[in-house]
This record gives sequence, structure tokens and C-alpha cells, in this order.
Amino acid sequence: MNLLFSRSIISKKCIRYFYLILFFIVFVCHQSAFAQYDLGYNNLDASALFAQTKQLTQFFRRFNGEEDAKGNKLDSTNTQYRSQHLRSEFLSILFDKKNTSITDELKAQFIKDVTNEQNKKFLNFRGNNWFAEVNAVFNYQNRPVNILIYLELEHSGLGYKWVISNVYFDSFSQIFFHSNNNDKASSFLHQMSHEIDFMNLRKAFADPKDIDYYAPNEYLPDYLTLFFVEIKNKNLIYKTINNVKFHFLQIDGWYFEVNNFNRSGYNSGWLVSNMLKISESEKARLLKIYNHD
Amino acid sequence: MKTLKITIIALAVLFGCNNLFAQETISPDRKKAIDSLALEKVRDLSKYIALVGSKETPWSEAQRVIQRAEELFMPGSEMGVSSIYRPEISYYKVREYFDRLMRLNYQKVNIDWYNIEYVSDLEQQPDGTFVGVITIFQRFEGFDKEKGLVYRDTTKKDITIYVKRKETQIGGRTIGFWDVLLGDIRVKETRP
Repeated sequence: MNLLFSRSIISKKCIRYFYLILFFIVFVCHQSAFAQYDLGYNNLDASALFAQTKQLTQFFRRFNGEEDAKGNKLDSTNTQYRSQHLRSEFLSILFDKKNTSITDELKAQFIKDVTNEQNKKFLNFRGNNWFAEVNAVFNYQNRPVNILIYLELEHSGLGYKWVISNVYFDSFSQIFFHSNNNDKASSFLHQMSHEIDFMNLRKAFADPKDIDYYAPNEYLPDYLTLFFVEIKNKNLIYKTINNVKFHFLQIDGWYFEVNNFNRSGYNSGWLVSNMLKISESEKARLLKIYNHD
Repeated sequence: MKTLKITIIALAVLFGCNNLFAQETISPDRKKAIDSLALEKVRDLSKYIALVGSKETPWSEAQRVIQRAEELFMPGSEMGVSSIYRPEISYYKVREYFDRLMRLNYQKVNIDWYNIEYVSDLEQQPDGTFVGVITIFQRFEGFDKEKGLVYRDTTKKDITIYVKRKETQIGGRTIGFWDVLLGDIRVKETRP
């Protein structure tokens, strides 16, 4: 317990020390940056913005140790590039400090694991097992509704693009929700139906809420297709976006969520907002949940 | 002989196509030059915003400035604006954004830059064009003739940039160059 406590104090001291370095760099770099681009800067205090993880690109670069403390991208030949020291410092400031559910012990375990010299773990922008979740607002039947849109990067033509891989909409899942499973036992077309020209289909369609009982056992509703149909039929009209977050399952043994924190201070921008230590089977289960399988 | 000719033409077209669709890369030095050019365009945009927002700018001059501002952008580009208390995004076409700015009743507009900008990598799109995002922070101040400072906000602007290889004829010679255009801009009010 004492060891844990002292580790937590050391880690907090390290974070403060790293912020101090960042703050110092802001002042040292001010003149050179001014000379480089001459954007008409004045004396506004940019130290907090300097510490902020401003783009998801910067989250990747800081996580992997691919930029220096000034935010300059490092060449792969640079000795600092992906160094354990640089990564440990950056990783310590990539967590939402206000979220107490991510304990100092869990953070320390994570940092130790991903920077382990024998088995370093990096994020790969074009790799699998990470995706975006967009909380969007649509108009549906004359009322505003929230729909979660999941997006993934896909190789296409000469480059990459984000594609809509799935959606979650309450109204869709309600359509396929059955409170009483006993109805399923009596909802079928008997095996001699072909001899009566399937005239009993009328009974199947008479109760629309249970129509999916007449599908094969392995049938799963495809919400993405439903979503596209509703959009094409102009039943769903896009309004705006409320929030964007990212789910990462790329690091073996871990799941984490990255959110944007628009707030003052040094702990802002794209930060880890949720983290779980998971087994491979739990990871598969999580992927299944996000894919709504 | 005819078959041979057709084969040669087909091969030439094939090689031409391969070249056309070849994966291009941008060297780190070229990337720096492109970043610099893009930031120059962003600086121009800020100057135009300050000019259009100011009542001291005559209407005809403001229209000319809006036209110049539109030329900085890819057609169809939009501004997506949100504030701290209204986090959902409102969308405006570039022309609409400037028209609204012109209608605001500020005698004078000040735009100050924070000494920080962040430039992403340039990633290739399916059509071969490169795309990146430049993040800048600005403080906007609107002044009234009598009351002085009446509005102030700080915004984070994530600006899409498109980089495309183009060719032009100069003195009968074909010269290749990288063209940079601004795209959609996400304007988010922030607390520095």
C-alpha cells in the first residue's frame, strides 16, 4: 500500500515536472516560432494550449513518442524517436486526470506494459481495432433523436477513407425487442405450408411486431441497412453532431476510450477517458458489442 | 503490323495510367514548404475576417475581400461552429459565414493569434489528393463605437487543407507544382 502511495506521489511529481518542461519550452520557443511563420502573434498565454493534445494525430504521436516536447514531429532516425523515456513522460499526461476510475496504479501498469523494452506496444493509425463513435442528432418522425454512428478507416484507391461501419439507434433495437419469447414457439410456418401455396403467410404478416420470428435461427437485424433505408427515404434527416470519441482495442490486453476535453488548464484536448484491462475473449466480446452482433 | 501498333498504344496507355494513379509521396522538406504555404493562406483568411467584420471597411471593399476569401477554399467548403454552451455544430458555407460576419454590428474587429499551431501529417485520399489539418487558436474581439469591447471569444480552428499536384505551362514548358487549398473549418469556442 505504502509502495503504491509513494509510486502515485512520484508519478504526480513526474507529471508536474513534465508540465513545467512544456511551460518552459513555450517561452524558449516563442521567438523562433514567431520568426518561422510570422502569423502576427501577440503575448497571449499559450502555455495551456501547448500542453493540450490538440488533434488525435497528436494523441497518436505522443502515445508513440513520435514528436518532441515542442510538438515537432521526430524523424525516425532521431535518438528520441519512440524512446522509452519520451513515451513514459507523454503517456503520463494523456489521461483525463479528473476521472478517478482510472487509478494511478492502472495508469502505471499500462505505461509499464506499452513501454516495456522487450515488447513495446504502439498505436497504428492505419491499423485495425480502433474506431470512431459519433453521437449525431437527426430528425425522425418530427422529433430530434440521437444516433451513434461508428466509423472505421478503410483502404481505398490511392489512400484511405473513413467508412460508416455500423449505427446504434434506440428505435431500431426496439423494433426487434421481444418482451415475451414464448410467442416464438407458436410463430412459425408449418412444414406442409408449401402444399397450401403458403396461404398461411397471411397469419405471419398479421402481427408485424413478431415478423422476425419467421426468419432463420441465425438471422440478425442489420441496423446499418435500416439506417441507410431511412436516410434514403428521407425519414431520417441529419441535424448536427453532439460529440465524437474513439475506441481503441489495438493494444494487447487493454481497451481504452479517448474523448475530447474542452476545458482550461494543462489537462485538456484528446485524453484517455476510460480504460480497462481485458483478456482476448473480453476484447472479442467488446468488439461484438460495438459491432452490435 | 496493325496488331503490333495496337499493342504498343495499349502499353503506352497502360503505363500512362499507372503513372497517373501512382502513389505519390511528399518529402519532409516539401511538407515544410506546403505547411508554410497553408499557414500563409490561413493568415490571409484571418486578415479577411478582420476586414469584413469591421464597419470601417466600405461595403464594396468587403465584397471584394469575401471574393478573395472564397478563392482560398475548395468549392463547397463549410465552417462548422460551436460554442462552450452550445456544443452542437452549426454549419455555414464560406460565403454565408462572411455575410453573417458582415451583418454583425462591430465598429472594429481584432483577431489575435496564440503562439501555437499544430499541423497533422498529409494523408493521401482515395483520389490521390493529400489532406491534412492545421490547428490554430485565435482570440476574437468585437468593439462598439461607444461601449468599446462588447464581445470576446477564444476559438480553436481545425482547418482542412488539400494539397494537389498540378501542372502549368510557362514559356512552352510544363511545370509541376503543389497547389494548396483550404477546406472545411471546425470552429470550436474554447477556454485557453
